[in-house]
Amino acid sequence: MPASRSTRIVLFIYGLLVIGFLYLPLVSVGFASVSRARYLSFPIKRYSSKWYADALASSTVKDLLWTSLSVAVIVTIISVVIAFFGALAFARYNWRYRTAFQKLILLPIFFPQTVLGLALLMWFNSLGIIPTWKTAVVAHLVWIAPIATLIVAIRAYGFDPALEEAARDMGAGTPTILREITLPLLMPGLVSAGLFAFLLSWGNFPLSLFTTGADSTLPEWLYAKMVSGYSPLVPTLGIMSVVGSFVIIMAALCVAWMLRANKESKIAQH
Amino acid sequence: MTESALLRLRGVVKKFSAFTALHGVDLDIHEGEFFTIVGPSGSGKSTLIRLLVGMDEVTSGEIHLRDQRIDQTPANLRPTCMVFQSLALFPHMSVGQNIEFPLKLRKEPAEKRRDRALELLDLLRLPRDYYHKRISQCSGGERQRVALARALAFDPEILFFDEPLSALDYRLRKTLEKELKDLHHRTGKTFVYITHSLEEAMVMSDRIAIMNGGRFEQIAVADDIYGKPVSRFVAEFMGEVNLFEVTSEDGKTLSAPGLTVNTTQDGLPANGKGLLMIRPEYVQFASATDRFDYLVEGQVQEEYALGSRIQYEIKGPQEDLITIEKLRENRLENAVGQHVRLGFNADHIHLIGEA
Repeated sequence: MPASRSTRIVLFIYGLLVIGFLYLPLVSVGFASVSRARYLSFPIKRYSSKWYADALASSTVKDLLWTSLSVAVIVTIISVVIAFFGALAFARYNWRYRTAFQKLILLPIFFPQTVLGLALLMWFNSLGIIPTWKTAVVAHLVWIAPIATLIVAIRAYGFDPALEEAARDMGAGTPTILREITLPLLMPGLVSAGLFAFLLSWGNFPLSLFTTGADSTLPEWLYAKMVSGYSPLVPTLGIMSVVGSFVIIMAALCVAWMLRANKESKIAQH
Repeated sequence: MTESALLRLRGVVKKFSAFTALHGVDLDIHEGEFFTIVGPSGSGKSTLIRLLVGMDEVTSGEIHLRDQRIDQTPANLRPTCMVFQSLALFPHMSVGQNIEFPLKLRKEPAEKRRDRALELLDLLRLPRDYYHKRISQCSGGERQRVALARALAFDPEILFFDEPLSALDYRLRKTLEKELKDLHHRTGKTFVYITHSLEEAMVMSDRIAIMNGGRFEQIAVADDIYGKPVSRFVAEFMGEVNLFEVTSEDGKTLSAPGLTVNTTQDGLPANGKGLLMIRPEYVQFASATDRFDYLVEGQVQEEYALGSRIQYEIKGPQEDLITIEKLRENRLENAVGQHVRLGFNADHIHLIGEA
């Protein structure tokens, strides 16, 4: 369907807004990160990669990256496992409390994250648990696992329950059905759920702020430096964080693509 | 009969909380038979087949396969297999992997699996290079054949079919009906087929069971279901039919308003009420001199061309229109509006002993 004139105008304005508010600010952060000056002012007088060198040499930065990465990776793995079984409970099996489950699981998503963070912090305190990055993993999971579950559930709704019944009819037990039918069919959903989980955890600020205790993640550090004592490392780390998540997404997509290509060739030569 | 039956059902009841889907069903299916269960939607036929393959549990009653009671056996341990309405082909596997799936579950060696899959492709008249194709590259008819091949690879005692042809267009369905019948002959397997289509049942089956409201109305060979239905439901379900409400004073002389009866006929109990059934193809246009056992007068309301046949609807003495069908070569000229005499003979009627 060719777009009408008015539709094209609206789309054009929309495009301008996206560029103006999403990408240009990011570009300006990029410029700031390579400016020799301590504060960003245009035009940039001297370009330099000093801040990147500083950042890579700094043990603080290494700790920050390591903490953020540990939290995000662990959250991703656990979320995907929870999402797989949660999605089956959500979309596939008829059980007594299914509707209640479907509604309850959505609640953490609608809860303001600051309130959720505060509530969890108070809960950890009353249990006598000292908050570290490990408690942040729990906090992230409370919010991210339901989102991952929903993503996989959409995929689970999309495939014919008769596929599992047919496998059972031909003699497959439950573990075989999960391995041979359910898991491969849910795989695209699991991959996107994993990517979402990683990115949501990697970029999360409010939950981390309340629940990391003495540890600090990248977004927390960026915020702290903005509030007290701006450092030119702020834009540098900001860009490093964006590049980091971009690289991880690309890596995941490449792996997925290679797996598919591998399977196709297996079918072909089979 | 009972001893030789392959599959026996005794008093099978299925309830879903308040709703009873099956009211104590008895059934014998014999080895090598093509048995079709026909019924409108909601008649309980899908419920029944799910019980037979083990996807639902019976509420009460027994199912026996040969000497074994199987109603408590889960689906994956029963030696039966079903072709699903949706076919349930695995989209992430090739045609060959689909067909080999049941063999792989039995841990048969790859060589043997492959040979068997190729054999089955031959049997179903699919080219051997389909082995590598993806399911998404197959047409509707090819998918049917792949699903059949997969079910045959399982080598089941009984092969069940849950309306697998219902989603196909008319021509393809007709072709596959005949192929399925042919496949039944060539494999010698026991086929149990459910459908809501009378035509499908008539073309393929050795015996047909008519289901309605969670019970069997009639179980018989196709010709008897068509020619000697036991109830109004079966008569009307099995295609076009004319039913006259008749009464009998002595069990031999029938009478009905507007129907001239020139014969005596057994079949209705003395002082009984019932239905006289005559199929549209046995009703003739009668001239004033023709002699028929039964005569009725009416006016042609409508004429429909059905291809090789022409169908007429005639307003007779009773409320229901009388339907008759003629071959195109015996077409009545300027039919609509004509007053006609219709005649038929005693050897083509069937009496249903209920009001």
